[in-house]
Amino acid sequence: MNSTRVWIVFAAAIIASFVVPHFLPPGLSDWVTRLSTLMLVAISWNMMANAGLISLGHSGFWGLGAYSVALLANAFHMPFWLSLIPAMLLGAIFGAFLAYITGRLRGLFFAISTLATSEALRVVALMVPKLTGGAEGVFVFDQIRPDRVTMTSFALCLAVVAVAISYFLSRSRYQYALRAMRDSESAVQMLGVNPARFRIGVTTLSGAIAACGGVISAWYTGYLDPGSAFDLKVTISAQIAPLFGGLYTVTGPVIGSFAILALSELTRLYFNYSGGVGLLVYGCILVFGVLLMPSGLVGLWKRRRKRAGPVAAIPAEVK
Amino acid sequence: MASLIFQIMVDSLLLGGVYTLMAVGLSLAFGVTRIINFAHGDVVMYGAYAAFFAFVGLNVDPLLSLVFVAVLGGIGGYLLFKLTLDRILDAASINQVLLTFGLGLVLQNVAVILWTGDERSTTPSYAFDSWFISDDVVVAKGRLIAFGLAIAFVVLLLAWLRWSELGRATRAVSQNRAAASLMGINVRAMYGLSFALSTAFGTATGAIMSFLLPITPFMGFPILVKAFAIIILGGLDSIVGTVIGAFFLATAETTIAYVVPQGIGWAEGVAFFLLVMVLIARPNGILGTVGRDA
Repeated sequence: MNSTRVWIVFAAAIIASFVVPHFLPPGLSDWVTRLSTLMLVAISWNMMANAGLISLGHSGFWGLGAYSVALLANAFHMPFWLSLIPAMLLGAIFGAFLAYITGRLRGLFFAISTLATSEALRVVALMVPKLTGGAEGVFVFDQIRPDRVTMTSFALCLAVVAVAISYFLSRSRYQYALRAMRDSESAVQMLGVNPARFRIGVTTLSGAIAACGGVISAWYTGYLDPGSAFDLKVTISAQIAPLFGGLYTVTGPVIGSFAILALSELTRLYFNYSGGVGLLVYGCILVFGVLLMPSGLVGLWKRRRKRAGPVAAIPAEVK
Repeated sequence: MASLIFQIMVDSLLLGGVYTLMAVGLSLAFGVTRIINFAHGDVVMYGAYAAFFAFVGLNVDPLLSLVFVAVLGGIGGYLLFKLTLDRILDAASINQVLLTFGLGLVLQNVAVILWTGDERSTTPSYAFDSWFISDDVVVAKGRLIAFGLAIAFVVLLLAWLRWSELGRATRAVSQNRAAASLMGINVRAMYGLSFALSTAFGTATGAIMSFLLPITPFMGFPILVKAFAIIILGGLDSIVGTVIGAFFLATAETTIAYVVPQGIGWAEGVAFFLLVMVLIARPNGILGTVGRDA
């Protein structure tokens, strides 16, 4: 696609995200909101994975976003669209901080330190009740909470922007540097790219996007406590959606989010909210995904096309 | 004051024993395979459940069932390794992280479905016993037993690694895969063996935990995170380093729990704080040799 057409598509999607929610029944609109939040964290996770940074700390970004909403809404009655800015800023700062302190840590060690920092944030949220309400949790000031339709539009719009960002990033020249970092940071360095700069850039962007997920969730549910705000489930779904859809691709996290959410709805229907089954399914997806289809649904589709491809391509070459 | 310091020392020492148990299996498996098993906490949890059912159903003391639990755990771990990890040993580390993370989720939630989230524990007589060294210094007997077993296990493991043929082969693989392979060591088999040993340690730890901590399907994750902190503190591939790391973490946590107001809550965060600090300040840990490129 040429770039004007892409811009038109994204502009149309933004407009649609403001119009469509008005016509959705409540159940579906709830579904769309949750899909959008999942897409945000999935895209953000995939962005970091694309540069070889395995994050197990996405619940940290999420929780920071959620708590900044709760604080600002309650202290200054800040409207939801404005609260996005400080929340994203906080997510971005935390992302940059994470990249900065982890320095040259790679792979496993980066993963473990992200897990540790997000868990540390949970402990802090639990231990400073004056600020966060502690274990009892905190309610978001109810009178300024937007209605359902506004919330869905807001979420959908953010998700579209996130997809756009990840699309343009994948088309930019930075993509080559990031992809190369995934294989070997030292090799990238030898080619004259400063991996530290890219690493900080990617985690900052990724942190800001993931914080949006927390923002939506806080406004949408209206309540949070340290356990739910820094829930490991956020990290889990953030990594499952891209893996299932297709790691390192633009469409992967989007398709993956659809698939994961549909799957979790199905398990909920069949097993009636009984604890454990949903997460068990997630675990199975992780295990079988890695073992059997490491390039996800997108990879499967590409392979099928490739198999059909050469036959169609030969006549053109003969000519 | 003197007795408070003494009590802190005693508690740190005993807790250090428990922590050593949690971390040593993880460290062993990492040293050889260079894979961090994110399901290790859940392996411990299965050991605890096994000991619990042996205690309730067959009236077997956890210290006795520990042997069988460890053997079963080793076999289970070997099968798990062959079925899953063995296939992706050469894949990127992200695949290994996601796989073991997924295995942990599966193990945990199978336990949730089978046994619900209810808290259980084994209740042998020594679980509630304690000795008073002086008027205000107490030693919990259960922890003392755990401490003794931890020391015994580590000594046995070190002896095995040092003097047995297989142990030497394990160390060789840990130090240099390629060279070990050239010396005629079956590297893949050593991977399987060390992973099995690690899960055997994990389940044995669980049997001991069964009378120290409430048993729930969710007990694995906090154990896992503490074990991470410990092995990173100690230097990942060093067993002795792991022991030092365990006692270091235990001392830090116990001191904070006693000295800082609301310390028990904050103590939970010490592991994370230390972990991040060590990764920044001394990425090789206390005794480790691994660079941070893995």
